[in-house]
Amino acid sequence: MKNFAYVRASSVKDAVERATNDRKAMFIAGGTNLVDRMKVFLDQPSQLLDVSRLEMTKIERTKEGGFKIGALVTNTALADNAEVRRNYPMLSRAILAGASQQIRNMATVGGNLMQRTRCAYYYDTAFPCNKRQPDTGCPAVTGINRIHAIFGASESCVAVNPSDMSVALAALDATVEVQTMQGKREIPFVDFHRLPGNTPDRDTNLEPGELITAVILPPVAFARSGVYLKLRDRASYAFALVSVAAALEVGGEQIKNARVALGGVAHKPWRATEAEKFLIGKRANKSTFEQAAEIALKDAKPLAHNGFKVELSKRAIRRALAVSAKGGGLA
Amino acid sequence: MSKIIGASVSRKDGKAKVTGTATYGAEHQLPGLVYGYLVTATIANGRITNIDTSEVEKSPGVIAVFTHKNVPKIFKAANDWANSQIYESRLPLADDRIYYAGQIVGLVVADTFERASYAAHSVKVEYQTEQAQVEAKKATYKDSPPWFGEDFEFQEGAFQTGDFSAARAGAATTLEATYTTEIEINAPMEPHALVAHWQNKDSVTIYEPTQWVRVSQGTYAELFGIPSERVRIVSPYIGGAFGAKAFPWPHGILCVAVAREIQRPLKVVVSRRQMTANTGHRSQTEQIIRLAANRENKLIAIEHTAKTCTSLVEVFSEPCTAVTPVMYATPNLKLGQELAELNIGTPTFMRAPGEAPGMFALESAMDELAWELKLDPVELRLLNETRNHQRKKLPFSAKNFAECLRMGAEKFGWNQRQMQTRSQQQDDLLVGWGMAAATFPGYRGNGEAKVRLLPDETAHVLTSANDMGTGAYTVIAMTAAETLGLPVENIRVEIGDSIMPDGGLAGGSQMTATLAPAIVNACQKVLETAKAQNAQQAFVSLRASGRAAYEATASSAPGEEGKKFAFQSWGAHFCEVTVDEEIARLQITRWVSVMNVGRVLNAKTAASQIRGGIIMGIGSALMEECHFDPALGYPVVYDLATYHFPAHADIPRIEVAFVGEPDLNFNPMGVRGVGEIGIMGVAAAVANAVYHATGKRIRELPITPDKLL
Repeated sequence: MKNFAYVRASSVKDAVERATNDRKAMFIAGGTNLVDRMKVFLDQPSQLLDVSRLEMTKIERTKEGGFKIGALVTNTALADNAEVRRNYPMLSRAILAGASQQIRNMATVGGNLMQRTRCAYYYDTAFPCNKRQPDTGCPAVTGINRIHAIFGASESCVAVNPSDMSVALAALDATVEVQTMQGKREIPFVDFHRLPGNTPDRDTNLEPGELITAVILPPVAFARSGVYLKLRDRASYAFALVSVAAALEVGGEQIKNARVALGGVAHKPWRATEAEKFLIGKRANKSTFEQAAEIALKDAKPLAHNGFKVELSKRAIRRALAVSAKGGGLA
Repeated sequence: MSKIIGASVSRKDGKAKVTGTATYGAEHQLPGLVYGYLVTATIANGRITNIDTSEVEKSPGVIAVFTHKNVPKIFKAANDWANSQIYESRLPLADDRIYYAGQIVGLVVADTFERASYAAHSVKVEYQTEQAQVEAKKATYKDSPPWFGEDFEFQEGAFQTGDFSAARAGAATTLEATYTTEIEINAPMEPHALVAHWQNKDSVTIYEPTQWVRVSQGTYAELFGIPSERVRIVSPYIGGAFGAKAFPWPHGILCVAVAREIQRPLKVVVSRRQMTANTGHRSQTEQIIRLAANRENKLIAIEHTAKTCTSLVEVFSEPCTAVTPVMYATPNLKLGQELAELNIGTPTFMRAPGEAPGMFALESAMDELAWELKLDPVELRLLNETRNHQRKKLPFSAKNFAECLRMGAEKFGWNQRQMQTRSQQQDDLLVGWGMAAATFPGYRGNGEAKVRLLPDETAHVLTSANDMGTGAYTVIAMTAAETLGLPVENIRVEIGDSIMPDGGLAGGSQMTATLAPAIVNACQKVLETAKAQNAQQAFVSLRASGRAAYEATASSAPGEEGKKFAFQSWGAHFCEVTVDEEIARLQITRWVSVMNVGRVLNAKTAASQIRGGIIMGIGSALMEECHFDPALGYPVVYDLATYHFPAHADIPRIEVAFVGEPDLNFNPMGVRGVGEIGIMGVAAAVANAVYHATGKRIRELPITPDKLL
């Protein structure tokens, strides 16, 4: 590990000021991903700004009827929160589908949004990687790309975002609250993470120095029927090959509202908005779900080893929608 | 015997391990200890044209940097297996050639681990890169030389009896299928690591986990040109090895060489990432099985050929066909092994080397044949079992294979199985039942132990043997307790140190068969020394004598029995899988195994060993695979999150039962070992259950979700 300075930020403002003044500084809270990356020289920060003791640890009701989740709420605390479990079960289940209990105990909500891809080419400095070092190339495009993207990738990068929690937050239309030097700003969750384009080194639309302070969940009544389905190579402690966060509002026999987001398929959580639009007004049946799944995957561009993700995604969407239509639960 | 032997006794070393007081190799703290970090090649084939270490040498805390230009003197070892053996014939930093990505090209020594790793990362190496070949499919195969090493006379692959082709031509039913398995890495929980501490330049203590203390000692002695008496190996605990910690690897040799040069105690820990490339793996395999049966469902011909890969710096031919002559009787048997060289690190022993992938192929093919014949697969196996080792042409010393099959079938409820695929369903899931046989050779070496009776009515057992986490401490104590007539807790066991009597190899499932008879002998000898019938009498006379202890050392070794018998353990696995077909989600829901391993010394740890083997087998069946980038030649897994093996959630309750009698033809204790047989046949049992559930025959491991679509 490269030597770094360690500073405990005294306030959110102090943290943002220090980070703004030193572009090579990084925030640390749970450190569950950052420290691993530092050990293998993926990140070599000049200083670590410890924000873990700041007051961002509450889950509060908003006046709109949603919830404001402090950036330092641990993954475990969020997943176990009774209101979250009742109102946003897909979020609780998504969190519990990720990492391990020990990691979730340390990991924070803000940190989860900032975790980086587990692409093996990114993870070892022996490989070239545009994400780690711009303009060195992307061996995953022609290499072993079984776990890589089928949506929104570029010649520069085919990596996927590893977060489960983010898939649910994308489906729920959450908002990320950010502290800047100028004050607070809010970023719609679907715009928080980026597609790789020519700048895969940037995972998010955070500007230098900005600090996540909270994630805001809007009220989504039908999210109570929400589902998170994660398909992976082992039953626990594996990143998603494909995951789906989905929720349906069914009135009478008609679908009134729908949310579908996919994980493990793109550089960001992938909202299937066209499929959502298609679902509204349709009957909640097998044929509808099949058509929605086809629509969701129609623009998929698989690589040499991940073609199976297209079919697996379709099936996962069908299953998640069917379970949500019945009121939710385990998929 | 019987009070203690065969009981369920919790492991003696358990508390030390869970409370952190068990000291593993890299945890030995020495005054003045410095840290080495490996610099490894980032290309898979070529030459080093330049290594610039000048900047790195100025890096804070750096003490020295070693490359092929200044590597300290290392001699060649005899590599005769009995006295010395290294995993990779090429010595570390021998020259500027690169044969595989991850090959060691340098060692940076610094005053802290972090400074060493940072400096190692900063070393600039320039290469002349040549085209690397890391793809088994594109490799050139030749008939395989003997299994391993330069002079190591294991059986060769090619073998033939009868006339396979003629017999097959006249068969009522034939079957031919190709099976493949991917590279698996040993991935023990404790990484490869050691501390080397020289006293001047002619005497060294090495704290390193090793499955074979005495050969490790002999090897380091040869490599550094000193008598083995001047090498002390300390290895009281091993955090898993699975075959990859028996002999020195290049990192170990380099650590000891550099420690001598700098005259400071030196620690080298191989990183988890480096371990994917340079401390062994199980080769990928491609196997073809051809079976031919007559109208009575007897196998009249079997052919088994295997292609495996090795590195360019060592011969290691994964011996897949070794299982075939012991399993099923046939007058016409043909075996062949081919080997190719790749630009990847050296493969090595991994729990049931060769036998595990070989058994996947053979037991999958037997299942396919049973479906072809419309016969219960248990029945097919019962009909075709052999009383003789068809290669050694010797009868088995003991064999209760049929009992394993029958009892396993009964415990599992196998007779309820529908003889039709996709026929069993439960809660919208397809349910499949599969079974496979298990077998593993009984090996035994020379073992020696010392027993001391002490006035406080305890006994102290010392031997250089090892406990890889398997329960050796406990069975050693139990054996001594039983023989001396003392409670287990009155036995103190000290192992894993080359200053102790030679306890032999913890490998090939042979530690217990090697050691237990020696411990019995030593216990009996110490009672004779004391002129006592039992320990209590000895303690009385000991206290009266004013002496500190009664002490005796004794050994035990195989005799002529190997000329009369072949030794083999047996077993049968039965499992249930559920498949959620729409989303390709597979879960193993039930597992029953019945094993015939001779005498079971500790029912608890023996069953745990079998379970461990089964869990590892489930890993190979469902998830373990290490792929290499085809162009750059480096593994694309890098840690225990990306190299998948089973988590608890993947594993059902596993029921293990033992049958059979002590195998007294094999050794006086009648034990055959439980280290490897558990993994045997597991992958086939799973694949066979998947076929029963889905009608999909999967011949390419691992059975990941994409293969179930």
